[in-house]
Amino acid sequence: MFLSRSEYDRGVNTFSPEGRIFQVEYAIEAIKLGSTAIGICTSEGVVLAVEKRITSSLMEPNTVEKIVEVDKHVGCAVSGLIADSRTMIDRARVECQNHWFTYDERMSVESVAQAVSNLAIQFGDSGDDGGAMSRPFGVAILFAGCDEKGPQLFHMDPSGTFVQFDAKAIGSGSEGAQQTLQEVYHKSMTLSEAINACLTILKQVMEEKLNSSNVEVVTVTPEKLYHLFTKEEVEAALSEVKPLIKDEPSSSSTSKS
Amino acid sequence: MALVLKNSSAALNQHSFSPYADNGGSIVAVAGDDYVVIASDSRLSTGYSIYTRDQSKLFKLSNDSVLGCCGCWCDVLSLTKLLEARMQMYLHEHQKVMSTPAISQMLSTMLYYKRLFPYYILNILAGFDNDGKGVVYSYDPIGNLEKSKFKAGGSSGALLQPVLDNQLGLSNIKEKPEAITLEKALNVVKDAFISATERDIYTGDSIIINIITREGIREEKLELRKD
Amino acid sequence: MNFYGGTIHNGFNDSRNSFGGFRGVDDYNFQPDIDRGFITRAHTPLTTVTSVLALSYEGGVVMAADLVGSYGSLMRFKNCPRIMRVNANVVIGASGDYADFQYLQQIIKQKIIEEECLDDGISIKPRALFCWLTRVLYQRRSKFDPLWNTFVIAGLQDGQPYISCVDKLGTGYEDKQVATGFGSHLATPLFREAVENKPLPSKEEAIAVVKKSLEILFYRDARSFDKYLLATVDSNGAVIEEPQLIKPDWSLAALTECP
Repeated sequence: MFLSRSEYDRGVNTFSPEGRIFQVEYAIEAIKLGSTAIGICTSEGVVLAVEKRITSSLMEPNTVEKIVEVDKHVGCAVSGLIADSRTMIDRARVECQNHWFTYDERMSVESVAQAVSNLAIQFGDSGDDGGAMSRPFGVAILFAGCDEKGPQLFHMDPSGTFVQFDAKAIGSGSEGAQQTLQEVYHKSMTLSEAINACLTILKQVMEEKLNSSNVEVVTVTPEKLYHLFTKEEVEAALSEVKPLIKDEPSSSSTSKS
Repeated sequence: MALVLKNSSAALNQHSFSPYADNGGSIVAVAGDDYVVIASDSRLSTGYSIYTRDQSKLFKLSNDSVLGCCGCWCDVLSLTKLLEARMQMYLHEHQKVMSTPAISQMLSTMLYYKRLFPYYILNILAGFDNDGKGVVYSYDPIGNLEKSKFKAGGSSGALLQPVLDNQLGLSNIKEKPEAITLEKALNVVKDAFISATERDIYTGDSIIINIITREGIREEKLELRKD
Repeated sequence: MNFYGGTIHNGFNDSRNSFGGFRGVDDYNFQPDIDRGFITRAHTPLTTVTSVLALSYEGGVVMAADLVGSYGSLMRFKNCPRIMRVNANVVIGASGDYADFQYLQQIIKQKIIEEECLDDGISIKPRALFCWLTRVLYQRRSKFDPLWNTFVIAGLQDGQPYISCVDKLGTGYEDKQVATGFGSHLATPLFREAVENKPLPSKEEAIAVVKKSLEILFYRDARSFDKYLLATVDSNGAVIEEPQLIKPDWSLAALTECP
């Protein structure tokens, strides 16, 4: 299996005979080493929650930033190579401001994803604009935002493919988390139910114990737009989560109530 | 003597080239709550010569946005072509038709982009705002934009605007009636043009009126003086 | 230019102010003048050609233009054909600088050759050529290096008579009748009178009006000439006839011998 790969997995500008570009697939694999991030889209708004890996007690947890504001109405959760994500978030921010400058309106969430996707696929030999990356970005991104179509959640992987989701998990715990999301999600979910579900699932997939300094929560709602939870708000949300977990340890079907 | 000859021959030989022309024309737009009316005359002229008596200066940009342009016609042709292309690109990029406010902002940036070699055009954009109410945007040639309920511009701007201020803005009128109806707006637009044509030689021949409602765009034509 | 009304009268300035005599060498500075730190494009029309007339009739269009090339007030060249057959549906006529017309003529010829090489039976339509010309001329004016011409495009657009006009700025418009240069003052009124009650006259009527207009221009436009080309585009294709002569009648003129 790896024999055939070794010939074609070094360059990003050569397809393998099976029609694959391995470097892109490896980049997608790289995401699975990243910290878990979960996004749920409800009719009231979108919630993003990520785990922060605090590897040392001497670390300043505030500086680990995995959910960022792109524009007032769009937030992004990232997983994978965080340094790579900075470039992409930069692009997203520039595109949003450019759109606002030219059209005096908020850029739609899908268009933001499209703009970042255009950057994501510019790897390989430097193209027209010179400074392209030599390899694919090792980042998966969840775009959460509210535009004229209402709250929306998009997922994009290193290949630049972006798809809209009701609920999506990325990162190391994504497989288990996605499974649970599938069971928990329903169309009439409220925002607070979604926050509960996010934290419940994070709790399940994280190695460390969930607390207010190793989790980041953001909501994007039509009213408040991008809102990053303060330490107190996270603690409040966590305190509501605990009884739920005790009630139904195996599945969080309680949040359907 | 020699000096005089040299100067006079220089004056005769000099073809100073100006990239601009004034091709005249006037635009009037009036917005109500559920309609917008925009009208232009159809005369395209240069100096005392009439190029054509049948040139609409209204450009339909979408199902609820119409742009009126007059001034330097070669710039009008270029700007409107570019605008239409930008509208199409926006449609493909964002999977939606540009709203009138979006067009208004884009037009402003497009005009300002040419700040150092401006499009010599008087633009008036008519359409609906984000609340669904009629709106009129007017511009100077370098992109300053003003949002209003009625506006006149072009070679007869100074003749038409006071009529609108009086009849639609109801300036200096004590008893303010209820909202301006479409019928009233149409009558004022027509009368304003008929009057302007009496004094402005760059406006005349006929007017083309676009009536924009939520049902779509309807066109009307009215003959004016041909002299 | 005053944007609100007051404008400068530029009635008779259409490429015909070069009355003066011969110019010194310094006046012909086409080279970038690096010493002075700016590029000079001293473009003034030299050999000029005057009016082009075009009128649409039932089923087609007629275009006419004389054959003289003037050098200022000097009648310098007597065989300057300036109606070009583009294809079976289009002719184009030019007034203004003859050299600029010849330059553009070469480009159009090249376009025609490329079109014929494709051999797909598709040939440019008049409105497409008109639009292309507005872009070319507008780009040149934007570089402050205009092609000093007014072009008239005439032909059949999807079977319908079509006439349009583009000037050196890229100003373009379509109409049932067009006359450039001096003709815009003398021939346009005659054309408009001719189509007032009958929007599309018969071919014979249209040609008669055009010929009468050429004759009047010959009397009153000092840069015009009695030898001219006349072209028609209709179901018979685009045909440029052999040069014809105006038969003037000077009997009304004072101080001439009447026969």
